[in-house]
Amino acid sequence: MKSLRRDVSADPHAANVTSKVFVRSTKSGKVQKIVRELYLRQDIPCSSKLCSTCPYLAPTDANGNIAPFVLSDQPAGTSDFPRGHYLVPDTNALLNGMDLFEHTGAFYDVIILQTVLEELRNQSLPLYNRLLSLIKTDEKRFYLFFNEFRLETHVRRAQDESINDRNDRAVRAVATWYSEHLRATIRKGKKEKSIPAIVVITDDKDSLRKAKDEGVTALSLPEYVASLDDSDRLLDMINESREAREAKGARGELFYPEYYTMSKLQTGLRAGTLHQGVFNVSPYNYLEGSVNVAAFDKPLLILGRENSNRSIAGDAVVIEVLPKDQWKSPSTKIVEEETVTKNDNPDAGDTEAVVTERERRALQEEVKQAHGRNSEGKPQPTAKVVGVMKRNWRQYVGHVDSGSTGQAASGRRQQTVFVLPMDKRVPKIRVRTRQASELLGQRILVTIDAWDRDSRYPTGHFIRSLGELETKGAETEALLLEYDVQYKPFPKVVLDCLPAEGHDWKVPASKDDIGWKGRRDLRDLLICSIDPPGCQDIDDALHARPLPNGNFEVGVHIADVSHFVKPNNAMDLEASVRGTTVYLVDKRIDMLPHLLGTDLCSLKPYVERYAFSVLWEMTPNAEVVSSSFTKSVIRSREAFSYEKAQKRIDDASQKDELTESMRTLLRFSKILRQKRMDAGALNLASPEVRIEADNDEVGDPLTDVKTKSMLATNSLVEEFMLHANITVASKIYDTFSQTALLRRHATPPPQNFEDLTNQLSKKRNMRLDVSSSGALADSLDKFVDPENPFFNTLVRILATRCMTSAEYFSAGAHAEPEFRHYGLASPIYTHFTSPIRRYADLLVHRQLASAIGYEGENGRAQVEGVMTRNRLEDICRNINYRHRNAQFAGRASIEYYVGQALKARGEKMSSDGGDGGIEEDGYVMRVFENGVVVFVPRFGIEGVVRLEDFVLPGDSTLRSVEERRELIVRRESDFDNEEYTIHVSDKGQTDKNRGMTVELFQRVKVNVSSVKEESGRGAGKRRVRILVLGGAK
Amino acid sequence: MSAQRQASSASQTPHISPAELSYLWSSLALPNNPIRPDGRSPTQFRPLSAETDILPGTNGSARVGFADGTQAIVGVKAEVEKTVAAADVSSLSQRAQEQFGENQDGEGKSSATTTGHGSWVQMSIEIPGYRDDDALPVFLSEMMREPLVESVSSGGNADGEMAGGLKGRLVINRRWHWRLYIDVLLLSQPLSYPLPLLSLTTHLALLSTKLPKLKSLGEEDPFFDDDWDAAEYLYPRSQSRLASALQLRPPVTLLVISVGENVIFDPSRDEIAVADTLLAISVARDGGSDALKVLSIRTVDPPSRLTQPGMPNAENPASLESAAVAEQAVNGEEIPGVWRPRRGGVKRNTVAKMVKLVLQKGGVGEEVLEGLEGVEVG
Repeated sequence: MKSLRRDVSADPHAANVTSKVFVRSTKSGKVQKIVRELYLRQDIPCSSKLCSTCPYLAPTDANGNIAPFVLSDQPAGTSDFPRGHYLVPDTNALLNGMDLFEHTGAFYDVIILQTVLEELRNQSLPLYNRLLSLIKTDEKRFYLFFNEFRLETHVRRAQDESINDRNDRAVRAVATWYSEHLRATIRKGKKEKSIPAIVVITDDKDSLRKAKDEGVTALSLPEYVASLDDSDRLLDMINESREAREAKGARGELFYPEYYTMSKLQTGLRAGTLHQGVFNVSPYNYLEGSVNVAAFDKPLLILGRENSNRSIAGDAVVIEVLPKDQWKSPSTKIVEEETVTKNDNPDAGDTEAVVTERERRALQEEVKQAHGRNSEGKPQPTAKVVGVMKRNWRQYVGHVDSGSTGQAASGRRQQTVFVLPMDKRVPKIRVRTRQASELLGQRILVTIDAWDRDSRYPTGHFIRSLGELETKGAETEALLLEYDVQYKPFPKVVLDCLPAEGHDWKVPASKDDIGWKGRRDLRDLLICSIDPPGCQDIDDALHARPLPNGNFEVGVHIADVSHFVKPNNAMDLEASVRGTTVYLVDKRIDMLPHLLGTDLCSLKPYVERYAFSVLWEMTPNAEVVSSSFTKSVIRSREAFSYEKAQKRIDDASQKDELTESMRTLLRFSKILRQKRMDAGALNLASPEVRIEADNDEVGDPLTDVKTKSMLATNSLVEEFMLHANITVASKIYDTFSQTALLRRHATPPPQNFEDLTNQLSKKRNMRLDVSSSGALADSLDKFVDPENPFFNTLVRILATRCMTSAEYFSAGAHAEPEFRHYGLASPIYTHFTSPIRRYADLLVHRQLASAIGYEGENGRAQVEGVMTRNRLEDICRNINYRHRNAQFAGRASIEYYVGQALKARGEKMSSDGGDGGIEEDGYVMRVFENGVVVFVPRFGIEGVVRLEDFVLPGDSTLRSVEERRELIVRRESDFDNEEYTIHVSDKGQTDKNRGMTVELFQRVKVNVSSVKEESGRGAGKRRVRILVLGGAK
Repeated sequence: MSAQRQASSASQTPHISPAELSYLWSSLALPNNPIRPDGRSPTQFRPLSAETDILPGTNGSARVGFADGTQAIVGVKAEVEKTVAAADVSSLSQRAQEQFGENQDGEGKSSATTTGHGSWVQMSIEIPGYRDDDALPVFLSEMMREPLVESVSSGGNADGEMAGGLKGRLVINRRWHWRLYIDVLLLSQPLSYPLPLLSLTTHLALLSTKLPKLKSLGEEDPFFDDDWDAAEYLYPRSQSRLASALQLRPPVTLLVISVGENVIFDPSRDEIAVADTLLAISVARDGGSDALKVLSIRTVDPPSRLTQPGMPNAENPASLESAAVAEQAVNGEEIPGVWRPRRGGVKRNTVAKMVKLVLQKGGVGEEVLEGLEGVEVG
């Protein structure tokens, strides 16, 4: 029997066609063999400006233009490559050294292969995105070469060749082709000498050897970097983990259990025996984490290093519930990483019982039951991390732990140091560096590369230094980085979107001008704005006037930002990424360029401005008769500060129309507010202070710190803005039932209040009714302690913390009853009134314009409001995230400022010979076994007070940090978990009067100062120290 | 129409005159030394062309063309499917889950997990001019599917992967299995009885079939390597020739005819037309030993039964001695040189002879399997 096989090699087209075969596993569980045909071409350009042929061959777009060539004709060189070089990194080089490639001092003219890019995407999505943005920027000259589609550089996988080997071969093939291609096509007149070298960068030893055999120039990343200037600093930026792992080999102890395989995780998740959620770390105890999973109402506890198994706050992890005998109550101890030494590391749960699947199932039921019970003090279900779905590692700001550096600061030797991240929830990071001595005392940016089983701490590498610790520049940048605030100046493409007239832009004089189309002329109305003093970006203005029928016309006028920011241009995209303006104490990071925010959009007085107006007809009792929306042109008569407005209203001698209209507004606002309160709106509180930085060098720096005061005019503006937002929300929801951008505040689940309710009933015998927002508001009003005027605010602060945060969403994402804004007790809500500083408002403006049929100058406004739900949900996710971060950054900024003010005061006082603290009232917010958390309203700060920081009777107040630290061994505490009290005394001291008892909600006298740790593990770090001096009755 | 269908259920009866039929029969029936129209020996096969992996989108595929111009393509697709336990679903899944939780060693339990189900292999045959519910395609597909799924290795010493035969190979774990779809497409008109062609093509396609490499262990939800090059053959291959002789292979079905005392393999259409008996014999290599094993023997109604009888001269009105011979004809006796349709069953010893020829060492079966193995796969 004979058999013949068709010979395909004779087919002349066979060389141009090849195929890519792989297996795809779909979500539904199907496994498919996928075959993609590849048609190879020869017109993919090399993109070198030296090349004389590619410009004629390269494919053109519809206008006959080719993509501009990227690679320079005079690339930079090093001593080894005097004629310059083009770099061709392989995937590992990018994985290990992405920070280097982003560095502006080196790594120009880089050819990124499609093969490498795709491999990178499979290995690390964040790195892939970083590389893409590198390719997009022009200045670094990164060229994405589609080598897989070019006939000459396409590499077919050989028999028994691994994918890695094949990809390495592809990299070498490209290098070979580039050198030959450039030699052949170099422009005439250029000498042979000027051909740049093609340098492959790879860390793979095998590939390096093969490159040598094939005559390709190849270097490992450290080898290449070593030949650059400033190589010491650059070498630190290479990811260390890979090399280190090879070196270590099978060495030593494994601290952590292995993760389950992906398929085991999937099976468990589907079967409901494993759960997925985001890993959170308690701010008071770095060893206690929690994971909120969909299956249970309350988060599951993760106790100890071993159970948290190398997860870092923010990671998406898979957890398994531990057997019941390992359930624990949440810790009542304050544990900070800096103060815990390795030895007393409370690693819990090292005995691993073998449990069957049926027991596992039963366990899930137990969890539900335990969660259902009133849980105070009882053991809570605990879990352990068995896998990580997605790492959410970012770059962390921190400083080098001075205790971890070696004594021998002898120059350039590489040593391992610990970096303590600013974020307390992140463990210290092991970093290898050659510049340890220089980095001491600096704020530095590091990243985590890996966390292996044999390493107690994650390993990472240094990226850059932000500057000296405690300098304003470094600390501000640290803050912005830590909260992911985009603070770079606006790029040119964004500024190009601004009106060409610049500051000279004016509302067109002629009403026939296209800008007037669809706008109402409201210039005659007596409109004014009321804002905080010194406000430059005036979003809103108001007016009220009587109508002939006895009713009133009330108008809210909002800056018409959507007129200037057109959808999908560079400015719009930038704004959508920034999401919000971030206010720091001494700095404002704008969402929109200065020109718009503080001039063209800002509703400044005495000039004509475009606005978007909401007009109501109201009865004298503030009942809305009708409402309408229009684009308009206004001229604000005056810009008041809250205080000025208040004074003018209070001044009975003022009888002019503007003042009268403000009085009307104030009267209406009071009625509106009362209505809102009757409907069950909450009066929430957050610990807010304001810093008025008038740079007064002489006085006490602390006088700048002021708690926010509420004037009637504050709430005047607030009420009308709320009212406008609600009116607009219903309007856009009518038009866009799926894609209206709304804001909701979900009703918090009652169990969130459980702890607070218990504490209140125990300590004050008061009942917190959380059945509805109205009931909560009523019961909050009743919490008055005549002895303790701040008590009410304190409870409000604590209650606010039990709630969920408000969020933006697209109308289609939730059912209508879920739209409710809990805090405002409004069935529907959105943000419309601050488009200069919030992106959400800008989108709402577009939607409202579209809803009222406004056509705009080009007739496209109708369409601009329309958006797909997916896109809108993406935007919502981003602005929610940005919004939250902006708040955190603002608070952190204030905290930093307070700390600095305390420090400045301390220095002043100590030079005068006084002590370094200031005495204030504080309130106990939480009680732990070994300390309390005290809130100081004067500065809006809360701080942990440990045992040694209690100043007991007979104890001298004046002690340095070190002296206090020594006290800790002598102190003991008696903690009553049920009564929320702690009794602190010296050991062996039985006399009750020599000790101190502190209970929850108690007012205490505290001494606040700023101290610097001089020695120990947290050395060099400044913190606000609070000493409890005694109860204040 | 239906008459023609009936006829073609065996094959399209060639239009050959009774005289020709008679001549053909007598040459094939020559004792010990039949003379075939194309000069082949009784056990010689016609040359064929074959290639595998012709359809990139399938898990395995093959094309075979016979010298008479008939061609067939077979594509094999595999899909992952959840196993629905026939008996007590809840208890079984519970058991599976427990096992998943406890350990993944699977040793000692493999025997329980390696029973597959015949319905996991689905075969459809498409023949030009037939609907898919016509008798011929349905009959053919069942005839080929049955030996495929029922060929279970007898010896326990077969390598673990193929324990339980093809069915066992399709088991992933207790809760998951592969389902095979074998699509057979006859490209040409069914000139001769298409079974051997389809069977050989299917055999080749199965030999070239690969399944993605399993990465998950034990009772986990299956999870596969996305590298197709890492995929594994459905019928494991081994480099050493000796070992390959011991490996389980998909069965082939051969068509054998007997004419007189002779047994003839790979009959052409004309030869089938005069066959006394027509048998489809399925053989496969048993995983346990290197001997072949008969999986099934089916008799096929030979088309010779439907042919018109020849008319002896005696009956021919044109002939003079008509009366005398007519008497003989009535008695139903053979008249040399005059065609009579075959009737009656198969003789025991004919079947025995056929089976012996197929199974003996160096016999027809081995030759065919080796030839097929020789077709380069991949």
